[in-house]
Amino acid sequence: MTDKLPLAGIRVVELGTSVAAPYGTWILATMGAEVVKVERPGTGDDCRQWGPPSVSDDFRSFFLVLNAMKKSVVVDFTNEDEVARLRKYIVENADIVVQNLRAGLVEKFGLSADDLMAENPRLIYCHSAAFGTEGPYKDRPGYDPLMQACGGVMSVNGEEGRPPARVGTSIIDMGTGMWNTIGVLTALHQRNATGEGCRVDASLYETALGWMHYHAAGYFGTGVPAKRVGSRAPGIAPYQAFECSDGYLVIAGANDRLFRKMAEALGHPEWCDDPRFASNPTRWENIEALCALMDAVLSQHPRAHWQDKLDAAGVPNAPTQSIDEAVAHPQTLALGMLQETDDQIFKLLGLPLRFDGNRPPQPIGPPALGEHTKEILGD
Amino acid sequence: MATAQPLAGLRVIEIGASVAAPYGAWILAELGAEVIKVERPGKGDDARHWGPPFWQDMAAMFLAINRHKKSITVDMRDDAERARLRTLILKTADVVIQNMRPGKVEALGLGAEALRAEKPSLIYCNMGAFGKQGPFRDRPGYDPLMQAFGGLMSVTGEAGRPPVRVGTSIMDMGTGMWAAIGILSALRERDGTGAGTTVDASLYETSIGWMTTHIAKFGIDGAVPGRHGSGVAGIVPYQAYECADGFLVVAAGNDALFAALAGVLDLPHLTEDARFKGNPDRVENVDALNALIVPVFRTQPRAHWQDKLDAAGIPCGPTQSTAEVLDHPQTRALGIVQENPVGGPALSGLPLSFGGVRPELTRGGPAIGEHNDEIFGDPRLET
Repeated sequence: MTDKLPLAGIRVVELGTSVAAPYGTWILATMGAEVVKVERPGTGDDCRQWGPPSVSDDFRSFFLVLNAMKKSVVVDFTNEDEVARLRKYIVENADIVVQNLRAGLVEKFGLSADDLMAENPRLIYCHSAAFGTEGPYKDRPGYDPLMQACGGVMSVNGEEGRPPARVGTSIIDMGTGMWNTIGVLTALHQRNATGEGCRVDASLYETALGWMHYHAAGYFGTGVPAKRVGSRAPGIAPYQAFECSDGYLVIAGANDRLFRKMAEALGHPEWCDDPRFASNPTRWENIEALCALMDAVLSQHPRAHWQDKLDAAGVPNAPTQSIDEAVAHPQTLALGMLQETDDQIFKLLGLPLRFDGNRPPQPIGPPALGEHTKEILGD
Repeated sequence: MATAQPLAGLRVIEIGASVAAPYGAWILAELGAEVIKVERPGKGDDARHWGPPFWQDMAAMFLAINRHKKSITVDMRDDAERARLRTLILKTADVVIQNMRPGKVEALGLGAEALRAEKPSLIYCNMGAFGKQGPFRDRPGYDPLMQAFGGLMSVTGEAGRPPVRVGTSIMDMGTGMWAAIGILSALRERDGTGAGTTVDASLYETSIGWMTTHIAKFGIDGAVPGRHGSGVAGIVPYQAYECADGFLVVAAGNDALFAALAGVLDLPHLTEDARFKGNPDRVENVDALNALIVPVFRTQPRAHWQDKLDAAGIPCGPTQSTAEVLDHPQTRALGIVQENPVGGPALSGLPLSFGGVRPELTRGGPAIGEHNDEIFGDPRLET
């Protein structure tokens, strides 16, 4: 790679709110694209209001991580001149549009894929929808927790016999932002060959189904839907979180060799001679008995004690860290995942990717509402 | 655009096993790239054996993330076979994607530096466990360990209960998505300059990436986020409620929606109760509120409440099982479940469409070494 970022020179217009579209364009901005975020006057993106906590009234936590490195312009969609000015800007300057506005809005303002691509056939237009562009639910709004529920993610998450649990981060919203990015980058490569743009469609619901990819294959193979198994991995034992005296440790004794090493490290080599634990299938069958024995031993000492013993024996393991532990861990720091803007106001998490060994930096924080209106759209 | 094969003509060599690298390469295969999977003779990729269920000796999980690929076998201990793979890459490949254990590809002479020195246009993607630097750089990584170590388990599940693992491999699959994003960006650059790039992604970086909003909050106020079961922090009522036949997630995120919910449940006094006046009050008195709401939801099935909540404009959705999701009219309308023309189970497609067309399912997974003759018989390799 040259010293330029891989998307230098690409211009993106984001007609987006909340998480999904802004997360996708944050990825593009961090990889070097110029991203122009279009917001309504006054309150701007809803996400600006989501908090606490906040660095200031303008920059609450959600907004700042999703919008660093972008420019902000305000457009009053009730004003025809302002909408016309935005349309002209897109047609003349943009390579990519990403939008996740409510169903029907872009059509109303003449900013749909058909409208814009008719005037600029090179344009790549990404619609990041809720339930997709067809089907009985195509006009329903979508939210991450509802999509985790109706997309099946909650049915495989949590403990059997307990209420469903939501994945504690927005994997549907952020995942859709990632699919948006995969879609527009693919279209960009194709445009290089053909000169033609393309409409890219992604949606929260399809992303949820995407997370169920191998569960779907399993269901079609067996007719039995997957269940919730707590911290366990279905069919593998022992492979789960165990409670030590100061917290939980995940231990992966996923095959006979590792099980033997683990039993020795825990001081109970005789477990390997127990016919109930002779092979993975029998261990899975007798998992409650196995867990009872392991719990009694592991609860005697803190995580670090067992980690040392398991590491020495070569048995994969990891503590269940909280956020404060994860961000302060030497591994996180060594990777340079935590970045600071040049003005030292914002601490941000970097892209989980490197190009020729370099993680794209984030020298510029999120924009104030309308900070770049004049620069981008003129007077 | 008329085609849903936007990466047609691109050749990708996958030196990968298990989930992360195969899933990343699967995305590229769905987009039209020719993906050649390198497997060891005999057993091949471990994931072939991760069943039941099996179809033609392929576990369902393997089939799901290896369809549309070609398979060649290479015995890495055999100098001549390794040299042949090296020649294949140097003469014909655009992209290499690998997730062997740390140091392995370099030891085999197939690392990024060695190959790109001879072929500067090559895009080479390493998918590691804990990343390239740091005290853990040589440790192996597995999806559940990364869910624990990166902090995700600390925010998933119910407070006061044991940790739960997210029931799908979001570290492995997420890393596959990041690899695809990195490779496609590098491709865009190569289209302009002709130069390739080394892309590095890892399970641990992906796991930290999933925590971005939590980490931002923590960085500002220093409060360690907890676990909220089916709910989200700071909004009440916003969780799964048990109905007569299963759970329904109800999202009454503001005062107007809460008033509407009180109407639907026929509990009008809720809106007059000072404990439930504004969202902060409801957050503080969530147990008292749920004590009143929970018994009402239990009296009727999900469809009953969903109709009423829909009519009142309150966002809601049932917690569907895999079976219910796949059978839902919305899923069917989108055409994301694809029948396999060569038989075997139906499979879910890419959650993306191009020009309104989703990439089709045309071929299942390859048998081990099925394409050895085709790929290694290429006359370009002789010159």
